[in-house]
Amino acid sequence: MTFDRDPFSFIDGFQHWLKVFGSFAGGIFAITVLLALGVFGAAGPVAVINRVFAGLNDFLNLSPRRIWAIALLTIKEAVRRKALLVFVVFAFLMMFAGWFLESNLRADLQVKNAVSFALTTVSWLTIPVLLLLSCWGIPEDIRLRSMHTVVTKPVRRNEIVMGRILGFSTVAALIVVIMGVVGYVWIRRQVSGADLICRVPVYGTLKFLDREGNPTDKGVNTGDIWEFRSYVEGGTKSAALYDFPVGQIRDRIKIESRFEAFRTHKGRMGESLQVRYVLVNPTKQLRVPLKSFEVAEFALNEHLLENEVKYFDEGKQETRTVNLLTDLVDDNRLRIEVQCLDSGQYLGMARPDMFLRLPDRSFLVGYFKAVLGVWLLTVFVVSVGVMASTFVKGPVAALLTFTILIVGQAFREFMIKLVTGEQKGGGPLESWYRLITHKNDSTELEKATSTAIMQGIDEVMLSVLGVVQYLIPDLSSFMMSPYVANGFDVPWSVALARSLAMTVGYVIPCVLIGYYSLTLRELESK
Amino acid sequence: MIEQLTTQQRKVAYLIGIVILMVPVIWLGMPSSDASTGGKLAGLRQQYELGEATLGKVDPTSATMNLVLLGMRGVAVNLLRMELDEQKDRKQWAQMRATTESVILLQPHYIQVWRYLGWNLAYNVSAEWDAVEDRYFWVKEGAKFLMQGTKRNVKHPEVYWETGRTVGQKIGRADEWKHFRKYFKYEDPDKERFGGGPDNEINPEGIDNYLAARVWYQKANEAEEKHVQHIMMRALFRSYPARSSLDYAEALQKEGQFDDQTRQAWAVAFDDWVNNFGKMEFADDYGAEHFQIRMEAYDSDVQEIAKQFGVDPKLIRKSIDFHQDVTNYRFWRIRAHSEMQEQTVDVHRNLYDGEQRMRKGSADDIDQAEIMLVKGLNGYAELIKKYPDIGSDDNAIEECLWAILLWQKIFQLKNGVQPDADRFPFPLREIWEKEQNRIPNLQQDFNRKYGPS
Repeated sequence: MTFDRDPFSFIDGFQHWLKVFGSFAGGIFAITVLLALGVFGAAGPVAVINRVFAGLNDFLNLSPRRIWAIALLTIKEAVRRKALLVFVVFAFLMMFAGWFLESNLRADLQVKNAVSFALTTVSWLTIPVLLLLSCWGIPEDIRLRSMHTVVTKPVRRNEIVMGRILGFSTVAALIVVIMGVVGYVWIRRQVSGADLICRVPVYGTLKFLDREGNPTDKGVNTGDIWEFRSYVEGGTKSAALYDFPVGQIRDRIKIESRFEAFRTHKGRMGESLQVRYVLVNPTKQLRVPLKSFEVAEFALNEHLLENEVKYFDEGKQETRTVNLLTDLVDDNRLRIEVQCLDSGQYLGMARPDMFLRLPDRSFLVGYFKAVLGVWLLTVFVVSVGVMASTFVKGPVAALLTFTILIVGQAFREFMIKLVTGEQKGGGPLESWYRLITHKNDSTELEKATSTAIMQGIDEVMLSVLGVVQYLIPDLSSFMMSPYVANGFDVPWSVALARSLAMTVGYVIPCVLIGYYSLTLRELESK
Repeated sequence: MIEQLTTQQRKVAYLIGIVILMVPVIWLGMPSSDASTGGKLAGLRQQYELGEATLGKVDPTSATMNLVLLGMRGVAVNLLRMELDEQKDRKQWAQMRATTESVILLQPHYIQVWRYLGWNLAYNVSAEWDAVEDRYFWVKEGAKFLMQGTKRNVKHPEVYWETGRTVGQKIGRADEWKHFRKYFKYEDPDKERFGGGPDNEINPEGIDNYLAARVWYQKANEAEEKHVQHIMMRALFRSYPARSSLDYAEALQKEGQFDDQTRQAWAVAFDDWVNNFGKMEFADDYGAEHFQIRMEAYDSDVQEIAKQFGVDPKLIRKSIDFHQDVTNYRFWRIRAHSEMQEQTVDVHRNLYDGEQRMRKGSADDIDQAEIMLVKGLNGYAELIKKYPDIGSDDNAIEECLWAILLWQKIFQLKNGVQPDADRFPFPLREIWEKEQNRIPNLQQDFNRKYGPS
């Protein structure tokens, strides 16, 4: 898990949403008008515009009471359909999970396993149940004609869609909260309370110095498959430069780091690599080397900087004292240079590997933020499910929602690589052709008309995918359990705000599409 | 005809049909119990040892998982293995360990899966960590995982052997062997959990790692008597318990222990090698001739075996020579025999103590070190005369060359010049001259330790 994501900006996000939403809405409107013009002549576009205005009217005259009434009916329906039986499965899992989780692991690894298990269970049980319920609700109502009894009452169709989303979201909230509480109690029983921490980190920016001391964006690549970390060479001028904003800090500073060691020779057996921090004020040309320490790999290196920092000035050969906040902090930023002291050895780091630690929050807070993330994802699924169920039948709606969920969570990166051409091997036809002819993805295909046709069809399919990619969100930000499992608070700007905005951003078009689909749909047609 | 029956009659007819069909099903599939062998299928399962229980300890979770997945086990395992690789690449060790357990839940009787994943933990993952304590933790994880595998697969000698290898060679021959052996035998680094003693899960009796490995290799040999192993030549496979005894004695020496315990360890190892392994019988054939040989065989034994199987004695000798070459039998026999002698122990002690005295660095220590080294080298010369095969052993050669380097260093310290071999002849000069190609590497190590001459 990397926590290295840019903070979410509501303004940028809203602008992006407006662009995508506006272009799709405009596109659909234009196509509808043109189609209506072609089929019905001049009366067609007028009818379309009237329909849009009628829709606006419906949205301006929404009744919260009616929406809530539909929501209550939805909750009753969910209960009647035995949705709450999910608690039985959950109870079984929680009762016996302890048997199957490794209990001999180090405390932090145990926390990781226990928290991941509890939160994964909550999401894996809640989402499928709500997905099926939301996708089957409206089609079943139409099939059983109970929808007729509703639409003949003074209830607007947008209220039906919104009521359903609200109802299912309430059921989801109930399930998630109860499971979250039980999960929390279970975690507390599995691991000691002292191991359950919720750090609040302040991340900085990272740059490097090469072995000659020249600035560079990246360190050395030691051949790791995962290029997350970059390495500094020991015993040279190579170093990592972290710049931290220290606006929130008023007195002492707690630094935490998790570096990785890479050895080119065994070195001193039984001793880890020696690392040194140097606090640097570039404006004052002040360099304060701290005492070196042995790196604790994949674990925490903790340091506390008091306001008065004592150090040995090698130039003047004397011990000096400087003030942390007045002498070392430059323009509200603190620069820390990280050096590896062992010659021929390397020290690896990425931006999130070092941070300033603010006072911890309660684990409960971090945990329930992650639970909130599960609920937001469920609301997203419910919205898409209800929307899909307004124009297709239950199984198709479930399949569609499930696909969006899976692609959004696991295959979005792959989809973007396909669309941008970064993924080798071509589109569906070309990759199929390569598979059956045993050609690897970098082999040049023979220049023939058939190849051109195949690649042409692929091009069309990929351009469709290029449009679809804007509709399928990156759902990874909803997955907040890794933060908590690794002992961190769930950050508002990176995870919560993004997920919240994404949920709202999808609920609005889902309601609109659901409303127009239900309005235009012939309810007699099962 | 069936259309003429009423619904009720049809139901009764179906019921009778079901009952009739159930008879062969019960006859075929009835489970076995203590009192009876059960149905035909249970009988066959028992006869060919195909039942889950005959393979090893039954894990209800594993069985349930496989049942729930129906035919999708392969797909699930593929996904898990991809996840495992991803977690390994991204250094998510705790998750990777959990995924390893999930894979094994689905494939509890796939021997190669146990071997591969056990190796992965003990060798690959441990190497990713920097601190020796952390590396040891993952070596233990690998060994524990394999031990779990032996419980689930009692029939398979491979998993026992792999456990022996991890406990013996990984702990005893890694670069960090000194630390690992100490952790294994005396004091696990996790003092909080093991109270300053060894990890009782992996070493409940607190014995040496090679002796613990010997137990696992012995179990592998016992399993191998009933089920064929697919790792290596049979004679090599079966030599491992005795090899562990040799490794144990050698390790004591490497750690600078030159006392009766070490001599006793060599005596036990000799006995193990000659009387246990040396007297094991191995089948061999030559064209249509089938016979059984053993390593410990004099000419009279060769004649006797030839007579017993009605084959040419030359064939028997050839087969014995081949097996002895493969297992390095003669060398280890001589080595163990020589090492159990008082004189040999003295030689090693003199060389070891000589180096320790030299490291102390005072003039008196240097003088004493020189005396000890010369005495040790002279002793080695006599030893090689008595047991010429020792002179071709890598460890022995390097021990001699190292002692000569030490002697040269002392000479240089005392006289300020490098010794001229013609003017100042030193013992084992013939080995020094013969093994010149080894010297640059050794000299490099020596210089790193003691500074350039």
